[in-house]
Amino acid sequence: MSVYLVSMGTYVGFFMILALALNLQWGITGMVNFGIAGFYALGAYTSGLLTVRLGVPVGLAIPAACLAGLGLGAAVALLSVRLREDFLAIVTLGVGEMIRLIVLNEDQITEGPRGLRIEARPFGTMIAPEHYPLFYLGLVAACVLLAYAVCEAIRRAPMGRTLRAIREDDVVAAVLGKNVLLHRVRIFAVGGFFMGLAGALYAHYVQNISPEVFMPVVAMFIWMSVIVGGAGNNRGILLGAGAVMVFLEGTRFVGDFTDALDAEKMSALRIIGIGLLLIVTLRLRPRGLLPERKFNASSKLSA
Amino acid sequence: MSLQMIVNALVNAALIAPPAMAFSLLFGILRFPNFAIGGYITVGAFAAYTLNVPLGLPLPLAAAGAMTFTALVVWGAHVVVFRPMQGQSAITLLVVSIAVTLILENLIRLFFSADVRGFDIPLQRPWNVFGARITPEQVEIIVWSLVIGVMLHLLLAHTRIGRAMRAVADNPMLAAIRGVSAAHVTAFTTAICGALFGLTGVFAGLDLVIEPLVGWNLTIPIFAAAILGGIGSPYGAILGAILVGLAEEATILVLPSTYKIAVGFVIIAVLLLVRPQGLLGTAEIKK
Amino acid sequence: MTTLMTRRTLLASGVATLAAPSILRAQEGDIAIGSLTPNTGGGGPFGPNITASHKRVADAVNAAGGILGRQIRLYQENSETNPETAVRAADKLINVNQVLAIIGTWSSSVTLGIMPKCQSAGVIQMCTSSSSDIPVADEKGLVFNFQPLSPIWGRAIADLVLSRSIESYALMALNNDFTRSMMDGFIEKVGEDALVQKPFYYNAGQSSYRSEVTQLIEKAPEAVFIPSYVTDFTAVYKELYRQGYAGVVITTSLSTGDQFKEAVGAAGDGIIHGFPVPALNSPAYKQYLDEAGLEDTGSVQHPFGTAGRDQMSALLLAIEKAGTADRAAVARAVWDVTTGEGKTAVYNVADGLAALRAGEEINYSGASGSLEFDEEGMVLGRDFQLSEIRDGKDVVLQRLEY
Repeated sequence: MSVYLVSMGTYVGFFMILALALNLQWGITGMVNFGIAGFYALGAYTSGLLTVRLGVPVGLAIPAACLAGLGLGAAVALLSVRLREDFLAIVTLGVGEMIRLIVLNEDQITEGPRGLRIEARPFGTMIAPEHYPLFYLGLVAACVLLAYAVCEAIRRAPMGRTLRAIREDDVVAAVLGKNVLLHRVRIFAVGGFFMGLAGALYAHYVQNISPEVFMPVVAMFIWMSVIVGGAGNNRGILLGAGAVMVFLEGTRFVGDFTDALDAEKMSALRIIGIGLLLIVTLRLRPRGLLPERKFNASSKLSA
Repeated sequence: MSLQMIVNALVNAALIAPPAMAFSLLFGILRFPNFAIGGYITVGAFAAYTLNVPLGLPLPLAAAGAMTFTALVVWGAHVVVFRPMQGQSAITLLVVSIAVTLILENLIRLFFSADVRGFDIPLQRPWNVFGARITPEQVEIIVWSLVIGVMLHLLLAHTRIGRAMRAVADNPMLAAIRGVSAAHVTAFTTAICGALFGLTGVFAGLDLVIEPLVGWNLTIPIFAAAILGGIGSPYGAILGAILVGLAEEATILVLPSTYKIAVGFVIIAVLLLVRPQGLLGTAEIKK
Repeated sequence: MTTLMTRRTLLASGVATLAAPSILRAQEGDIAIGSLTPNTGGGGPFGPNITASHKRVADAVNAAGGILGRQIRLYQENSETNPETAVRAADKLINVNQVLAIIGTWSSSVTLGIMPKCQSAGVIQMCTSSSSDIPVADEKGLVFNFQPLSPIWGRAIADLVLSRSIESYALMALNNDFTRSMMDGFIEKVGEDALVQKPFYYNAGQSSYRSEVTQLIEKAPEAVFIPSYVTDFTAVYKELYRQGYAGVVITTSLSTGDQFKEAVGAAGDGIIHGFPVPALNSPAYKQYLDEAGLEDTGSVQHPFGTAGRDQMSALLLAIEKAGTADRAAVARAVWDVTTGEGKTAVYNVADGLAALRAGEEINYSGASGSLEFDEEGMVLGRDFQLSEIRDGKDVVLQRLEY
């Protein structure tokens, strides 16, 4: 059981990093990103391929994955110049799908649908196998803390106020002399950086990745984490990611109690339950479990 | 590009034009890209299947039944889910609409399993027209699609309720001041759109296979057609559908066919960057 | 204040959910077995049969007193045909339910995706997957594949088709590992020269397959070969028919089951399809049809359900043979009870247990095939059969021993 909790904790960690990054992009700055699965895949494959194909040490491959995410984030942010947010949603979803298709089709490099086996693990040779899961949990937890610290610092800094102003009304923010585009590109890039990190950590943890891992449904879970937890509130995000994972995996145990439902029906019910979780949460707590504290953004800006 | 490819594109367009029009109408009133349409279309396909195969009704009757049922489902989803969340941002509603699709899809899986199904009518061999092949059924789908386009135009341009729909879509506040009941208009719009999604379910069942993901697979081309044509313009949706159809056909000439599903996205991205209001839409101030 | 309450209640309920299984864990003495099947997603049309087979065999054995005097506790999970979900499900099966084996994985990406976890925990895997990476990745001899690797499918189907003196082919495959390598095997046998154009792939879940079909039949090939699954093939075939293709359509029997025949009706006549046959005449297959409540239609039914029955049967027999629930010993015993000559042939788990308890050596011959494993745990020697759909029924054209 404790082994199980350790590995679930590790998965929650991946979700938390992704959700914190999304919160930075959308919850705080108001930029939509439905291509999370693509950023996640980019990080996983960048790091995985560097170690497998070029023998790059993990210690360099993971930062490289972060930088790949950073670059993609900056590029996608440029799209937001001309796009309304609801359309940006669809375009970013397209970016995510495009990355998955490239991984799937360029199989000479990525192994495509066969999937990529990754042997390399951070400190894999130095830590005894029986202690490794716990070590990895610690590593992921440290990364969650790092992401949390960075996101909180941005939120609290004077820049955070500017970002919220952009979120509430980018035209007003621009009129007030803020460089809206520069802020957007920076924040989206930082978000991309952490999504790339999450992808790399995932790849070296499961050690076998394939395009099917990075379906758009992953983006859906992260969005649910942010909305259920409370957009804009970083602590809420951690709670939201935890809640979604507990719900996703916890419902598995229902099947152990009962024989009345076969696995097919059970899994249909689980997904229905996850959908209802979102709807019910929003009905009861429209701003999420831990709502963002209200700021009077415009008055502080003009002050 | 051969004549066959143009025929292919037209049949594709006929399939996605009606739901693109419905998506566009729905967007005009609710103001967010509604991913629930995938679930609605699947519901339509399975409703028609249930009436046609286990219950043995002829397909036109089954289609009418499916349209009614889907209209009820869409209206129900509006009342139970979307209306109470009106204060939420468009993006939150978008995520909720994906959740609605997941719920509908899995309800269907719960009752029908994931087996593939088809309607109880034989497949048809094609007519050969100047070397291009087209079946009578495909011609019917194209004709229906056009008829729906014309009917929607008449509805929007020449009836009281249609004018009210446009008024609410243009400016809900002004419409309210002029005594238009937004609630009635919304109920009417969701029902009309629901019927169109139901019909699309029937067409998709004829053209592809009836399975829980059938609606989801059509979602992105539908979005692409609606956005390309310009949100809020039924004729634009038809034009958009034809262009999406042609673009998908043309892809295979230049790219490996495995990239075809990305075409819808690329169209959306390029067009929105160049002309955010769509081809036939009117400019709208961003945000 | 309210937020605090909420957080606390939520945490409490979370902990409760996670703690619950300790109450539930297989009772002392039960043998825990995990079943991880593709009940939704790409494998959705096949998974439920596998699930049902696992449960039927386990229930029957439990009703007859279990194995080694212990009851079987079966934990069933849905992989959603998605390795991302499957890895977490496997985690639960291994670390919470402490299963001896995880059986029933279907897509290669799932089988390979959970393999690192299974290998490090020493858990046995039984699958119906096709990737040639499987034997390579199995470093501990714990993986048994109940389905021939996919290049073998392609070669066998090509061998069967070759005698039909077809001069020209066009090929198109679903874009996944299984169907792509099947296509490669097919080309190996018929030769590049017989192809009228470069083979290509399509993705599942497309909104139409019209342009692919137009391209496939553009050069009027005498035959087309389309390695695929049932959902996409049904849509593709409808389109082939509507575009008036009159040549020979060849595919795998996976795509042409009863669901397909019902969906396309009489238009399906004339399709030729090949498959590693669940020895249709073997007693095991007939028993399977009885157990699953099916009529013998002469066509391949439940292609993976039969394998599911064989997985659970072989595993339970191996436990009995090993005399212990030690994973490594059971893995070795799988060969003992399925492979080798001069042993008593048995066709179901009850007879097998009886024979083992009478001290006999047994060779379980399954519903999915005669079930002999090579030293890498890959199934050997399954018959392939080529059938044609006539009047909505499969008519056997040829058989081939491989």
